Amino acid sequence: MSLFRAWLSGIPAYLWSGWGAIASLFLLLAVWEGVSLAYGDLILPDPGSTFATLYRLLDSGAAWPELLVTAGRAMTGLALAMLAGSLLGFAAGMSMTAAMMARPLVTVLLGIPPIAWLVLAMLWFGASDGTPIFTVFIACFPVIFIGALAGTRTLDHHLKDMATVLRLPPRMKFFDLYLPHVVSYLFPAWINALGTSWKVVVMAELLSSADGIGAALAVSRSHLDMEATLAWIAAVVLTLLAVEYLLLEPIKREVERWREVQT
Amino acid sequence: MLTAGLRGLFAAPLLCCGFRPFYLATALYAVLAMALWGVFFVRGWPLPPQMGGALAWHAHELIYGFAMASVAGFLLTAVPEFTASAPVQNRRLAVLFGLWLTARLTFTLAGVTGVWPAALLNLAFMVYLGWLIAPPVWRDRGRAHLSFVYALIALAALQAGYFVAAWRNEPVMPWLLAAVGVLMILIVLALSRISMRMVNAALDVRGAQAAYLARPPRRNLATFAIGLFTAIEFALPGNAVGGWLALAVAAALLNLLNDWHVGRALFSRWIFMLYSVYWLMALGYALIGLSLLGAGFAPSAGRHLLLVGALGLAVLAVMLVAGRTHSGRELDQRPWVLAAAGLVVAAALLRLLAGMSLVDVPAPRLWMLAALAWIGAFTLYAAYSWRLLTGPRPDAGSACEGPEVFTQPASQTLNARRMES
Repeated sequence: MSLFRAWLSGIPAYLWSGWGAIASLFLLLAVWEGVSLAYGDLILPDPGSTFATLYRLLDSGAAWPELLVTAGRAMTGLALAMLAGSLLGFAAGMSMTAAMMARPLVTVLLGIPPIAWLVLAMLWFGASDGTPIFTVFIACFPVIFIGALAGTRTLDHHLKDMATVLRLPPRMKFFDLYLPHVVSYLFPAWINALGTSWKVVVMAELLSSADGIGAALAVSRSHLDMEATLAWIAAVVLTLLAVEYLLLEPIKREVERWREVQT
Repeated sequence: MLTAGLRGLFAAPLLCCGFRPFYLATALYAVLAMALWGVFFVRGWPLPPQMGGALAWHAHELIYGFAMASVAGFLLTAVPEFTASAPVQNRRLAVLFGLWLTARLTFTLAGVTGVWPAALLNLAFMVYLGWLIAPPVWRDRGRAHLSFVYALIALAALQAGYFVAAWRNEPVMPWLLAAVGVLMILIVLALSRISMRMVNAALDVRGAQAAYLARPPRRNLATFAIGLFTAIEFALPGNAVGGWLALAVAAALLNLLNDWHVGRALFSRWIFMLYSVYWLMALGYALIGLSLLGAGFAPSAGRHLLLVGALGLAVLAVMLVAGRTHSGRELDQRPWVLAAAGLVVAAALLRLLAGMSLVDVPAPRLWMLAALAWIGAFTLYAAYSWRLLTGPRPDAGSACEGPEVFTQPASQTLNARRMES
């Protein structure tokens, strides 16, 4: 309970430290405004009119269905990749042989560009939801797999031995010894994969779907509508920022707190 | 006979440390310059004809008259302490103060005498001040306080630009707006030094576990953002690029406050005063940003929050703290301190209301009230500090000897405070 209270009292300070991030983002907007000023609205509309367009899209309700469809696809692909990647990586990490075998395979998977997978997926799944979901899955899987593998491989053997000597119950071994360590590797991998999923899904939709943010981008591109294009890009980036800084980063801090004590 | 008289004058307690004449001048000139502006604006009394217009007089005199006097007082007191060097006293201090005084006079009469006397005396004051404080800062190990010298050089260069522009009949306001940015950087630099001591002393008094650290990365982000905004505003006046940068400054200043959230010690009067300076500065820059992005009010509303609010309160707080501790006294715990600080904040908010036309009161009336609040605050300071600044020290010190108050162990400070109350 006191732990929870400590965590709760840390929230305002965490949110307040967001001002630093906001300051850098405003600096970026200033650069954007400057480029738009130098090259004109046709090349790059200014941030003000972009956000006005985005607001109009959200206010009229036109954007929400697209955002939901895209988020649904990205999350489905990501969830599948998290499940499969974590479990398989964990399993591969248990055995030296499996880890050795898995390395080159993961390198191959990482080496194939997502756009190549997308072409394959379009042939296999057509214009269905399967195409973006599969592409997201296959782009995220190796990242998570490597994380889980590394986490399992780096477990401290002395700690393991000590746990055996002290006859820790299996539940305790798992939750207090293995899990915190593995998660500290797994979590950054998940966050990494989240960013990838969000980018890949838009790319997949752009080329293969009739709905979602990617499709909306394709439409605004064909209309040469720079403002709407940038508004959709802003929507993608803002969603990612919000999820990362409001949801994942606080969890990550919590999970990785034991590292600070060590250093 | 004359030299003996002069020697006696130079040895007066008023000239034993730099803050004494300059803090007194800061307070008196705050009152005088604002009163003149008030009667000019409200009663329509004419000011002497000015280069660049009456508005330029108001801005220049409050920046290079009022604020610069406080900067001189601060530097002449802080530099000897930071660098453990000999303080500037007596004859040299009298010369420097004389330059400031004649610079004020010639500037106000510049419509009659022309630009040159005012330009020469004003710049001579800046150069001599730099001449006095730069060598010890340069010789100091690590040169940790060189940024103050850079800020002083920037202020002098901008003032030179002002006079060149005035001489050529070009717009002078951009130079003054840039000087505002340098002053804001100077406030952030100065407060980070002062706050480390004061906040930690307040924490010690409360026996708190946490320690306060003015973290350089956050401060550097804030000063970088202010500098960038100031440069862009100078190059592209009224542009939306500057608007986003001003918002970045506001966010960077609020980010700075993360260091300050140390619990209840924040609400002791001295700490809260310094803390409010950052808030006023952040709000001021936010309003300037919104105005430049087309929010429908003039940037001068936000600008006055910076100058009346942040600058006024920072000057008052530093004068209250350094003025007492460097003349060998305890911090002033009497209620007038709160009244003076409250009046400065009230002046800033009234000026803001007038600038944004938020309430249904005619703007001139709000201007008048704001000016009166400002005059009241600095009259209080001058009245309560007159003897402190002009009289001899109550202890054995003979110059600027510093604030042992803060370096005493917590228990001693507590005892001293109990005895006082």
